[in-house]
Amino acid sequence: MKSLMKARTAAGLLALIGLVMIPRLGFAADAPGADDMRAIKSELQELKQDRLRDREEIHDLKGRVEQLEGENKQLKAASSQIQTEQTQTTQVVKQIQEQSKAGPSPSQVSSAFSRYLGSHTFLVTGTAGFSYIYAPQSGGINDIPRQRQNTFVSDWEPMILYRPNDWMLFQGILSAAFGSTGTSVDLSSAEFHIFPTDHMEILLGLFDNPFGDWYETQSPMWVNRFITAPLPFGVEAVIPAAEMGVQLRGGYQWGQVGQDWDYTVWGGNGPSFSTTSNGLDAVGATMSAPTPAAFARTNSKSVGARFRIYPIPVDADWGRLELGVSTYNGKWTAGRWLHGWGVDFNYFVGNLQTRGEWLQSYRQMPSGFSSDNRQGGYLQLGYFLNGIDLPFLPEAVNKHVNRLEPLIRFSMVNQRATLVDDINSATGIGMGGSRVGLVPDFGLSGSPALFAPKSREVAFGLDYWISPSIVWQNEFDLEVPQRGGVFLDKNGIATTVGRRVQRDHVFLSQFTIGF
Amino acid sequence: MKKIFVTILFASVALGATYGLTSAQPASDAERRQLILKGAKLWPIYCNQCHNARPPSEKAPYEWDLEIMHMRSLGNIPAENVRALIEYLKSR
Repeated sequence: MKSLMKARTAAGLLALIGLVMIPRLGFAADAPGADDMRAIKSELQELKQDRLRDREEIHDLKGRVEQLEGENKQLKAASSQIQTEQTQTTQVVKQIQEQSKAGPSPSQVSSAFSRYLGSHTFLVTGTAGFSYIYAPQSGGINDIPRQRQNTFVSDWEPMILYRPNDWMLFQGILSAAFGSTGTSVDLSSAEFHIFPTDHMEILLGLFDNPFGDWYETQSPMWVNRFITAPLPFGVEAVIPAAEMGVQLRGGYQWGQVGQDWDYTVWGGNGPSFSTTSNGLDAVGATMSAPTPAAFARTNSKSVGARFRIYPIPVDADWGRLELGVSTYNGKWTAGRWLHGWGVDFNYFVGNLQTRGEWLQSYRQMPSGFSSDNRQGGYLQLGYFLNGIDLPFLPEAVNKHVNRLEPLIRFSMVNQRATLVDDINSATGIGMGGSRVGLVPDFGLSGSPALFAPKSREVAFGLDYWISPSIVWQNEFDLEVPQRGGVFLDKNGIATTVGRRVQRDHVFLSQFTIGF
Repeated sequence: MKKIFVTILFASVALGATYGLTSAQPASDAERRQLILKGAKLWPIYCNQCHNARPPSEKAPYEWDLEIMHMRSLGNIPAENVRALIEYLKSR
């Protein structure tokens, strides 16, 4: 038994040894050789290189992908920009097409035209008229002969405006007329206007006397509602019609819109008067006309001032009222003065317009003469029939009625004397001559009562307005001179007016255009 | 006489010099519109005072530049109202 146990123990040990040794014997049989190891190393090396190349390729590919992504972004941005631009282009094209259909705006045309014209601009404006005068002149005054009028007169008054910049203007007016004694040309005004500030203007040159309103603003043919001038502004003027000198003027708004006041002060060469054919200074002599003002005897300078106020605001809808006062003082010869003053008004509301002036002057005379006092005035009223529908008239007639403006005016002049020489050399249109210039700018003077020392005139007018500045005017004047005053002959001999004061009448018709 | 004239002269210069230059332009479209509206209101008032108001379409804008300077002088129109008138007359 013991031997069997020993045998079993020995067999177990052998088996254990076998189990431990067998695997070791197997490894020993498969182990590589040196060649194999080199091959394996070589393969490993190749694998490393392959891996390195792969990494490089991957890196390159990554870079390429990034580049492509960047390019893609740029393409997308470019595409978006193109789309935006395309939209904008479409809008612009559409706008241009619409503008093309509508045409250029006035401001665009204006801007283009202004560029074309340049900064110095030039304009010819003014007025032209064709008149007929019928003055039967049934008799003279105190047997002084009067000339009949049955004639046509043509008058053209171009005004040239030249504007080198927005604070300077030149204005020149020529008066040219053709009448019963031929053609005449006169220089009515030549003015330099300088606007250094908003509320002041400097005016230099030959200008209409800014005394009151009539000389300056109412004398142009198409502006004057009548054909003739009121008596105080005719050939026997109370204040000189023109001056050669300097003005300062301007306007202010003192209250609401439309409530203004303005000032004009001026100095000039001074007044001048005609003399008798014997060279005597005489009471009642005619004052200078615009052109002689340039050559007036300049014994001293004259000064004048005018102030006007406009009390009604625009928003009140009460129309426009002007109230003015003027003075004029100057030496007409050494040591002797002419003093003048005046008041004026004008008012319009709706279809009604009215205006009037009163002016006086006092001239110191040499010893032996009484002083040369003059007074004059006018009051004028007109009513536009525009908008008035007369039910008993057909529409075609009402259309013409609406263009009518009936007018009435009373004017007068008082002076102590009138020179017979002035009457015999009468030059005002309507007094046997055609010379212009006796009244500044464009006004005619067709009143036969002018040379009576105490003239009175009632004028009726009927204007037919074709457009705001084209009018056919008709006027009928009743001349009713009063007794009083004297006529002075060339030697200064006086004849009292009063023996016979002839009344008279005149008809005038005029077609005039303001351009 | 000379003293009076010189006094008046200096007073006028002082009055005139208290404000800016005439050439001021509207600052904006809104201001321009306001001037046009104001000018439309003033146009019949200032013009009809002496003569019939002439329609803006009668003259080219550059012609109104000259005309309005002429009228400003004759009417002594305050400069601020001149600006309104010219904007209206040129706006037609």
